Amino acid sequence: MTRPVTIPPPTSRPPIWRGPTLGRFTSWTFLVPAVVIYALFALFPMVDGLWLSFFDWDGVSADRHWVGLENYAQIFTQDPVFWRAVQNSLIWVGLSLVIPTVIGLAFAVALDQKLRGRNAFRAALYLPAIIAAIAVATIWTWMYNPIFGLVNATLEALGLEWLIQDWLGDPDLAILSIFVAYVWQATGAAMVLFLAGLQNVPVELKEAARVDGANHRQVFRAVTFPALMPTFIVVTVLSIISSLKVFDLIYGMTLGGPAQSTQVLALWSYTLSFQLHDYGNGMAVAMVLLVITLAIVIPYYAWMGRRDEA
Amino acid sequence: MKRATRVLMATALLGALVVPTAQAQDKTELRVWTLDAFGDTVQQAWDETIAAFEEANPTIDVVLEGRAVDAHKDALRVAAGTSEEPDIYFMWAGQGLGGEFVDLGVAAPLDDAYAELGWNDRFTGPSLAKTQYADSQYGVPYTNHAMAVYYRKDLFEKAGITEVPTTYDELIAANDKLLAAGIQPIAFGGKDRWHVMRLTDSLMEAVCGAEKHDALKFLQADWSTEACATAAYTELDRWNKAGYLGDNFMGIGYQDAQGLWFTGDAAMMIEGDWMVNQLVDAGQDLENYAIFPFPTGTDRMYFFAEMNYPSASSEQLDAAISFLDYFSSDEVQQKYLGQFGSIAVNKNVTYPEDTRPLDAWWVDLFNSSTAVYEPADQAFPLDVNTEYWRIEDGVLTGDIAPADAAAQMQAFIDNRP
Repeated sequence: MTRPVTIPPPTSRPPIWRGPTLGRFTSWTFLVPAVVIYALFALFPMVDGLWLSFFDWDGVSADRHWVGLENYAQIFTQDPVFWRAVQNSLIWVGLSLVIPTVIGLAFAVALDQKLRGRNAFRAALYLPAIIAAIAVATIWTWMYNPIFGLVNATLEALGLEWLIQDWLGDPDLAILSIFVAYVWQATGAAMVLFLAGLQNVPVELKEAARVDGANHRQVFRAVTFPALMPTFIVVTVLSIISSLKVFDLIYGMTLGGPAQSTQVLALWSYTLSFQLHDYGNGMAVAMVLLVITLAIVIPYYAWMGRRDEA
Repeated sequence: MKRATRVLMATALLGALVVPTAQAQDKTELRVWTLDAFGDTVQQAWDETIAAFEEANPTIDVVLEGRAVDAHKDALRVAAGTSEEPDIYFMWAGQGLGGEFVDLGVAAPLDDAYAELGWNDRFTGPSLAKTQYADSQYGVPYTNHAMAVYYRKDLFEKAGITEVPTTYDELIAANDKLLAAGIQPIAFGGKDRWHVMRLTDSLMEAVCGAEKHDALKFLQADWSTEACATAAYTELDRWNKAGYLGDNFMGIGYQDAQGLWFTGDAAMMIEGDWMVNQLVDAGQDLENYAIFPFPTGTDRMYFFAEMNYPSASSEQLDAAISFLDYFSSDEVQQKYLGQFGSIAVNKNVTYPEDTRPLDAWWVDLFNSSTAVYEPADQAFPLDVNTEYWRIEDGVLTGDIAPADAAAQMQAFIDNRP
């Protein structure tokens, strides 16, 4: 007869830090540098921008003239570009939430399979994400050149002359043409995030589903997709942030033209402030952008919080 | 290593750092911002002039920074009022550009320099007139420029155009002949709004005449009730719809348009006297090119002046004035005659008999013109010009009906604070 083996209970390990314990004070101490930097480079410009939006100022003179809400009244009722910029910004956010996300997810699912050359495909698809936005703008401006560019030349070579357009010169097409360049750059980052998320999908659940007779589509819908929800949240938040602050692509490709048809709020705020020396109106536009951002982000975070509690 | 050796090496290292710094502190660095878009001929003139000035003034280092047109304007607007402002900057004269920076307090008033250095007797009449802004003189004339229509003789010949257009109707007829011969009449880069502006301005002058055009440009007339303003936009739309501007010109820039012209894909461009040197730099045969004034019927020259402005905040203002005095001197302007532009700003230069025919044409035009009209981006305040360009784009892309264009312009003017 074997003797029963008694397994001793786990003992608590001594703390690694053997110095004096400061408790909460230590935590705040480590937070101070980040808080200072955030206050200096994020909070202060926001507050200063809000304050400046109530003044008439050319950015150089020592004098600033208080005008109250006049700048806001002017941009809402008299600025011929403002509402176009609002429209373009909201369209850009909407499209950014859907198109790069869906394409990135599709690439991630495809490249999660065991394929020859999988790593090379992953690298190639991610590469645009590490190119500076202004370089992307230059590349795509050349590609879209209606006379010498790759896009129209390819269409002509394929016998699709009827599709040839003035991609950046047509106000109905220009913003969408720039958005294509944005998708080219942004999809790789979404793909990488989804690939990471896919690694956390429990393999045994997928196998169990297959054993139960589920096909690929059913496995994706019932197992993979729900498991990717945390990743969707991250991708959504990052898409909102990057789409609301879009600037350099549009600046590099059209400068807001033709006829200011590709203006967005960030670029119009910059144009008013730094090119037209109208800092009051420029900051008013920036504050509108801030309000739109908060209106999207705060409910989203509130929903996430309720979801986590549930 | 012995202690004494370490001390000696440290001292030598410190000396190597201190001595060049001390020497550098004896030299004044003069930062000059200009355009880099003018080509090799102009660059050579700048480089040699700077070298000669530095040789005569060994305590001054002139540092020249060049940028493209829009990048230069942007850089100066961002640097204005900061420590990054250059000591001297290039800018076009007129209310909308040079005047903008005078209004911001960026440009130094030069009344004393003009009086003491005899500059009022140095420059040509139109150049000198452009230095006057508000109650003072600002900037030192750099170039005078006029613009007209350059055409390729080979393409005119191919289209059967035997006479240069001298009236607006003749110009339209020439456009139609070129189209019929399968040639794009005129090249513009629509992405660079200042380029198409040259056509809009010319049409405003042709349709409105001198008096009404000036009244509109100086915001003394009502765009919404002045019928010629709408008529001018209607002409602009007509040029586009008739195909005179080619396909897809709104999606290309100035350089691409120039490329079309150089390669014989377009017959004409509205360009300035500086184009003579650019044709040379591009390897073009000058014999194949000729010029005629845009037939506006007003006999006014489409003219603008460029200046070099010393900054009010410059700590080297005396050095800046000294450099510009040398730059505009009889000696330098005579030596580099024709390189900065066909028309010298210095009235004491003499033009050689073997002046290139295209340069001679510009000199003759300048000497025979008694009145001028300015480009919109110099005549208008900056915000009005931005709206002018938006409306011009809108008419050309079909976003704005020509009948609504002038009214939108007036609405913007009325709403200005």
